[in-house]
Amino acid sequence: MTPFALEIGVALLMLIVLGAGLIGGDGGRRRTGAITALGLVVLVAAAFTLRPWGSAGGGAFVSDRLARFAKRLFLGSTLIGVLASLSLPGEVFRRRATEYYLLLLSSLLGMMVLASARDLILLFVAFELMSIPLYALAGFRKREPEAVEAALKFFLVGTVSSAVMAYGLSFVYGTAATTALPGVARALEGQPPLLVFGLLAVLAGFGFKIAAFPFHMWVPDTYEAASTPFVAWLSVAPKAAGFVALFRIFLEGVGDQVTLWMPIIAALAAVTIVGGNLMALPQQNVKRLLAYSGIAHIGYMLVGLAAVSASGTAMVLFYLVAYVFANMGAFLVVEVVARSEGTEHLNGFRGLAQRSPLLAVAMLLFLLSLGGIPFVAGFWAKLYVLWAAAEAGLYWLVLLGAILTVVALFYYLVIARRMYIDPPTRPEPIPLAPTMALCVIVCVLGVVVLGLAPSPLVLAALRAASRLF
Amino acid sequence: MTSVPVLSIVTWAPFVGALLIMFTARQRPLAVRLIAATATAISAALSVYVFLAFDPEAGFQFYEKLPLVPSLGVSYELGVDGLNVLLVLLTSIIIVAGVFASWTVTVRSQEFYALLLALVTGVYGVFVSLDLLVFFLFYELAVLPMYLLIGIWGSSGEVRPRGLFAWAFRATGVGTKEYAAMKLTLYLLFGSAFILVGIFALYVSAGNASFSFLDAEMTAFDPALQRWVFLAFYVGFGILAGIWPLHTWSPDGHASAPTAVSMLHAGVLMKLGAYGIVRLGIELLPRGASGWASLVGTIACLNIVYGALAAMAQRDLKYVIAYSSVSHMGIVMLGAATLTEAGLGGALFQMFAHGIMTGLFFALVGLVYEKAHSREIARMGGFGRAMPGIATAFTLAGLSSLGLPATAGFVAEFMTFLGAWRSAHPWWLFPAVAGTFLTAVYILRVAKQIFWAAAAPDFPPLADARGPEWVALALLSFVLVFFGMLPALALGPIESGLAPVLLRLLP
Repeated sequence: MTPFALEIGVALLMLIVLGAGLIGGDGGRRRTGAITALGLVVLVAAAFTLRPWGSAGGGAFVSDRLARFAKRLFLGSTLIGVLASLSLPGEVFRRRATEYYLLLLSSLLGMMVLASARDLILLFVAFELMSIPLYALAGFRKREPEAVEAALKFFLVGTVSSAVMAYGLSFVYGTAATTALPGVARALEGQPPLLVFGLLAVLAGFGFKIAAFPFHMWVPDTYEAASTPFVAWLSVAPKAAGFVALFRIFLEGVGDQVTLWMPIIAALAAVTIVGGNLMALPQQNVKRLLAYSGIAHIGYMLVGLAAVSASGTAMVLFYLVAYVFANMGAFLVVEVVARSEGTEHLNGFRGLAQRSPLLAVAMLLFLLSLGGIPFVAGFWAKLYVLWAAAEAGLYWLVLLGAILTVVALFYYLVIARRMYIDPPTRPEPIPLAPTMALCVIVCVLGVVVLGLAPSPLVLAALRAASRLF
Repeated sequence: MTSVPVLSIVTWAPFVGALLIMFTARQRPLAVRLIAATATAISAALSVYVFLAFDPEAGFQFYEKLPLVPSLGVSYELGVDGLNVLLVLLTSIIIVAGVFASWTVTVRSQEFYALLLALVTGVYGVFVSLDLLVFFLFYELAVLPMYLLIGIWGSSGEVRPRGLFAWAFRATGVGTKEYAAMKLTLYLLFGSAFILVGIFALYVSAGNASFSFLDAEMTAFDPALQRWVFLAFYVGFGILAGIWPLHTWSPDGHASAPTAVSMLHAGVLMKLGAYGIVRLGIELLPRGASGWASLVGTIACLNIVYGALAAMAQRDLKYVIAYSSVSHMGIVMLGAATLTEAGLGGALFQMFAHGIMTGLFFALVGLVYEKAHSREIARMGGFGRAMPGIATAFTLAGLSSLGLPATAGFVAEFMTFLGAWRSAHPWWLFPAVAGTFLTAVYILRVAKQIFWAAAAPDFPPLADARGPEWVALALLSFVLVFFGMLPALALGPIESGLAPVLLRLLP
């Protein structure tokens, strides 16, 4: 099996969606969406059954365990995102449904190539292929000024970060005289200052993409203005792709010199956790709140990266999966509630437990998972990441991370209080579209099953990470 | 030992009850209560059996082990020894009494009982689990339902803040149930952060890839590590045990919580903190414990005196009892800090005695509040005539609380004082004894005002306890006197549980 099998599949799906859109006309919105969803179901099934091993392009493109783990994650989360998008009201699309799904798929293609790239040029191209459709998608509701502003902000920050990264890569190439990651690792042995500077610039570039603390400012505005199913996907899939690329560069590409980065990444993790959590505290808009809490979660994942070990990397992978279910689920419930209540303010959640008890339980599970409470996925995610940090001797980071989960729990409990303690403003239950209900159920299952039986995924993540060390 | 997983049944029966309540007994309040009563009765009956069948010679008993994540050394491992067998019994008594004492909860009673039972599973689990990670899981399960239980079914304080900082109290909503629920949850989770770091430190430094307590017990940890890990455990568990100055969640939380939750929290959960310090702190880290003993004991003395003085100053009946818990937990911590056989025995016995006593107190306060709709001491008076049963039980609890012989409180306090006198710091005895004197002052004053003083004018005719409520009062009063008369029943297991601890404390 060719190592490109899944990528070819995504490209074919793009062509099919394009064709369906061309012959579609006005009624095409549902059809292109359904075709995309079906195609993704096939691709997810293929990702779990096919064995596209091997490498191509002289080692520039590999399909190893890490890449396959990441691709399953990307495909699965995109499927949830597309399914959730199916229930978007028609005026969002305005006959541009084909564009929406095509952009989503091309960004997905970028992520999948990124997960396999072991060459700096391929990595950069894949990164741009992932990022540029996101700018367009963020401004998809182009008649709303907030969406345009958010897209512009996202675009400017994104291109600047790409430029910084490209600048850094030029130093890396200039010193190492190769773009292949193993060659970079070899060149780094004497720790030439220009190479170190180049990698630092690359790290800053990634910082923008994964929204680590000092590089996070585009996140809340973009999340607030863009359509929520897209935001649910934006908040997980590109972040996951960013982390996989970080693993490639800073674990594989840096080789034995990895201890050089440990303190920097640990410090980045610490400020991201503190900053994200503290800024989430005063938020009254649920999407902004989740945006800041998402920044804090990136900080926890960086803790696992700072541990610089196979278990640390595996724990980040586990964290990403748990985060996909919990964060997407939470955003989707926000979408359901906001569409019914007409507001994204916290007050929209008042008395939800008495209006739609099951939806409230689902949201509570997502919040508990994000807060890191036992018996749901997020607990194991946080626990494993902190555990890896403890093994690496970073006890101060463990304590900091554990204490800040208390801050995080405060704002999650504020939502829980609205849902369970405050009385409802209106008695009728909240309407729920069937595809949306399906997505929420999938997310609940993910959160609960991973919370009760984390072992299989932990083992899979450990296997995926083992090759990097 | 036995093939029947007795401890698992004790632990999970309430949880099964909670699930049954959530899924079957919709809108049928009586069925909800019957399921709750049955589930807790099963646990209670089995924990009485465990207590009676407990063999003081045999170390860990009723042992169960089931690997959960073998690659990481996590397993579901349960067992009782002399340290926790009494606490399991205590939990059972309090929860049975709690279910009966909150028989009258009608607002969303289905969710109330489901959460309460889930909480109890967490408490049982913490006491019986021998795997540090599973222990931590149960700990979190025992903390979180509290937020909703207090936030939804709690009651806000009616005595408004006065004095210099009244504006700040009003601005943050001090005294409201929402404030109390959030404060309690965040404090306890803050503590759990320290516990988690401590557990990881033990796991990593033991190096045998196992979270089992039994494996950790075999390891002699480096003294420098012991010192800081003990401190982490002391802060983490100490918050739950209400050590000064990290105790402030406790009066607010206990005063705002509904009756059964106050009983369970003050009666059992605070003991859970003290149990953690004895089990993980002193038993696993003897060098750390002896290094910090003088600090722990001194803070315990502050707890005793400060808690008693604060209780004297309260105008709200529930706050008096809540601060008395802070004071009495000081006696537990003092006993533990003496690191002597008498002191540690006194601490463990006081956990049990105070659990029963404070459970009784909160049940009584709940009944008084439910009938008179007031917690303000100055407004009430002469209730002894209308509710003689409640008055008698309150006086009994009060006498045990100030350490009258023939009640369980006496044995516990006497042993603790003896331990304090024999410890490295005999002066600890004086604040401790002063504390019992202050307890007498505030308890008797409150009892006199509410029950025996001239009748207050502005109350309608009041009723005494009724039907199911009597079950709670009679059960708790009986246990309080029974163990006061026959302390040897409890002291046997306690001594057997302390033997390995004392052995490890030897230099």
